[in-house]
Amino acid sequence: MDVFILLLEGIFVSFEPLNLGLLVFGCLIGLFVGAMPGLGSVNGVAILIPITFIIPPTAAIIFLAAVYYGAMYGGAISSVMLGIPGASTAVATVFDGRPLAVKGEAMTALTAAAVGSFVGGTVSVILFTLFAPPLAEVALRFNAPETFALMVMAFATFVGLGGDDVPKTIFSILIGLALSTIGLDLITGKPRLIFFNIPGFLHGINFLVLAIGIYGIGEMLWTLEETKGKVQMSKLSVNMKEVGRAFGALKKTIMAMNIGSFLGFFVGILPAAGATPASLMSYGITKQLSKNSKEFGSGVPAGVVAPECANNSASTGSMLPMLTLGIPGSPTTAILLGGMILWGLTPGPLLFTQEPEFVWGLIGSLYIANFFTLVLNIALIPAFLMVLRIPFAILAPVIFVLCVTGGYAPTQSLHDVWLMLLFGFAGYILRKLDYPVAPAVLSIVLGPLAEKALRQSLILSDGSMGIFFDMAEKPIAAIIMYIAIVLLIMPAFGPLYKKFFKKAQTT
Amino acid sequence: MSVTNKITVKRAEIAVAVILALCSIALMIKSAENRITWNAEENMGAGFLPFYLSLGMLICTVLTIIKFVLKRSPQSKDDSPFIEAEAFKYIAVTIISLVILVLAIGYLGIYFSLIFFLAFYLRYFSSKSVLFISVFSLITPVLTFLFFEWLLKIPLPQGISEPLFYPVYDFMYS
Repeated sequence: MDVFILLLEGIFVSFEPLNLGLLVFGCLIGLFVGAMPGLGSVNGVAILIPITFIIPPTAAIIFLAAVYYGAMYGGAISSVMLGIPGASTAVATVFDGRPLAVKGEAMTALTAAAVGSFVGGTVSVILFTLFAPPLAEVALRFNAPETFALMVMAFATFVGLGGDDVPKTIFSILIGLALSTIGLDLITGKPRLIFFNIPGFLHGINFLVLAIGIYGIGEMLWTLEETKGKVQMSKLSVNMKEVGRAFGALKKTIMAMNIGSFLGFFVGILPAAGATPASLMSYGITKQLSKNSKEFGSGVPAGVVAPECANNSASTGSMLPMLTLGIPGSPTTAILLGGMILWGLTPGPLLFTQEPEFVWGLIGSLYIANFFTLVLNIALIPAFLMVLRIPFAILAPVIFVLCVTGGYAPTQSLHDVWLMLLFGFAGYILRKLDYPVAPAVLSIVLGPLAEKALRQSLILSDGSMGIFFDMAEKPIAAIIMYIAIVLLIMPAFGPLYKKFFKKAQTT
Repeated sequence: MSVTNKITVKRAEIAVAVILALCSIALMIKSAENRITWNAEENMGAGFLPFYLSLGMLICTVLTIIKFVLKRSPQSKDDSPFIEAEAFKYIAVTIISLVILVLAIGYLGIYFSLIFFLAFYLRYFSSKSVLFISVFSLITPVLTFLFFEWLLKIPLPQGISEPLFYPVYDFMYS
């Protein structure tokens, strides 16, 4: 009952004029950002975060969450119309969305994507409302050792479940953490890693510099290389008859909606997973379980609904650990978490008691944003198509302008703009060589929090690392640490498993 | 054989791994300027964490190099160009123009630098008319000015062009 009242209050908060205006604006921007090839929620949120400094934190999080949400919807538009995923989260949408468009059924694909996103979003936000308060209550009992253990587990998840090259993943985590140590040491106050005595390093490296560099500059370079400014758009006829027929085609997608919504939410909670693997897994499982699995890939609505349901559901799921534990579930939520610190909030379970308006305003806004995004998405399809016709050669410099100004604004230092460029170029090259970049962004956000928790824990234990493995004194921390260790060593068993499995198959 | 064909994925992989290994060593040396030890009496030295994180980075790059030598990574067997010649033009011109943009911001200020950057970029890569390019290159910095200086009250760098903005500020704050 309490939850219901708090939720109602949250919905009222999101209906306040400023919040509602920003919510609708955020949904719109998100839809456009998601629809643009190469730009996704993480790029949109990273580039837009500097403009939230002048509004209250609740309005800021509602705006950015709406951008996040809208981008999940919008990603499908370019997947269907151009055959280029709007973001990595919409890769699986191409598999059946593009063939549908090629067959002349683009409207069916776009409607399936929008409705799938809505269903996934709604189911996940209900699950979020149910799970968040009890999880936050448990997390309130966490002290420094449990917090540090959780962070280690978040890093370990990338290694165990990320699926990327293990040394490169660990390198990415470590470089993010190392970059977060630049500046003044929080205990001794001594300057650390001040290269060439450049004073700009004394205030550390703002996570935004890395995030905008990688997801703004780096991503644009990547997209320029991929598209070379050229795109081929499918034809689309928009009329009520087409919309009606598209809705009719959704009857056969109930199973895809169920799989996408529930799987997406729980995969989204995991730090290394997020919306991209959730959508790919959802597509794969729906295909496996479908009676007409052979038709998948040739253009079936269920093949669009499954990934779209999952990526929206995962985006909400990834906010659960961010709000309750202070651990982001995706690169976008890592940036949102960094934003909370910039707005003067302490991410974690205390938010539920100290900043109920912020937390419940955000949760309430997710319900509202889901509805608005569905309506805007379908109503504005012609407008999105106009935007998609903008040549990349025009869009790219505008994004670069946003990156340069966004990199400068938080600290008003050109030093940070240079660093942002450097990170952008380096991120582009490293990504081409399959170095995952998301762990570095997560690490630079969590780095200072992890270091603080580690040092506090060691002060508590008189310098003994045993505090993290003491089942009698700190059982939660110990269990989390052991899970982290299992995740860390898991990839080593991959080749053994394959070897064993192959042997078993041949015998 | 063009330059872009010579830089294969294989060569890029090993070159980047070696550069990252050297950067990790540089970080370790830099970290060692502070105390890198840790014990119960003195607690953790300021250089402890960055030193061991850089050591971890070094180990990872060495593992990447070993995988390369043993041909265990996909990149170690990939002789395709790291970047195609056509795409290289886009990337190289973009990177150079961005570097010149940031250099120019420090001297000319952001607004005039953006005009030149946008005009050059659009002229080079798009087939738009001179009129379109001129209008677009002028409107974008004006909108940037209004957004940052008027709405957010965040002054952006103006370099030698700062005196030109005094009348605008007088108008805005009068």
